[in-house]
Amino acid sequence: MNAWTAAALVLLVVAVPACGWVVSRGTTVRRLAGACLLSTVTGAVFLLLPRAYSRSSYQDLALVLAVLAPAGSLVFTRFVAGRSEDRDRDGGT
Amino acid sequence: MTPSHVAALVLLWAGVGFVLLSAVALVRLRGTPARLHALAPASCAGVPLIAAAVAVDQGPGRAAVKTLFIGLLFAVGGTVTTIAVGRASRQAEDGGAE
Repeated sequence: MNAWTAAALVLLVVAVPACGWVVSRGTTVRRLAGACLLSTVTGAVFLLLPRAYSRSSYQDLALVLAVLAPAGSLVFTRFVAGRSEDRDRDGGT
Repeated sequence: MTPSHVAALVLLWAGVGFVLLSAVALVRLRGTPARLHALAPASCAGVPLIAAAVAVDQGPGRAAVKTLFIGLLFAVGGTVTTIAVGRASRQAEDGGAE
């Protein structure tokens, strides 16, 4: 096990369960915060593992995730905000 | 052990430390604004430092530039996402929604 593998393992063992715990509890917006950190941690792991196994082409996964993860989070955020606006509109009429 | 390898290891574990700090803060802090603050170390320091460590280990070249670009994307994307979640949080609280 080299340093890259050890770092990825630390992130997978400590950070991912912490994010999972936050994602599984609380309000929708608080769950979104956990999902955002989970995507960041996954991106870090996708950066580390290709270096650990000397497969540089696998780094494309991290590149794709870096583009798609914020887009996905923004879509979820839009749904949450839209639901709140709908509730305001229904309450106002 | 070459100086560049030592630098890569220092950057790597500093980045991992920032990500772990974010994870612990996300669990420990209460309230949505505090939790949103907890996202910042991972996206703005943790992943860019890890990307810098990988880039230093790869050496000068296109691969290192690509790795640094990935780190930059995570930093920008994390910031934008945090702003959007913060706005949604405020809208939800103003509307009394959970």
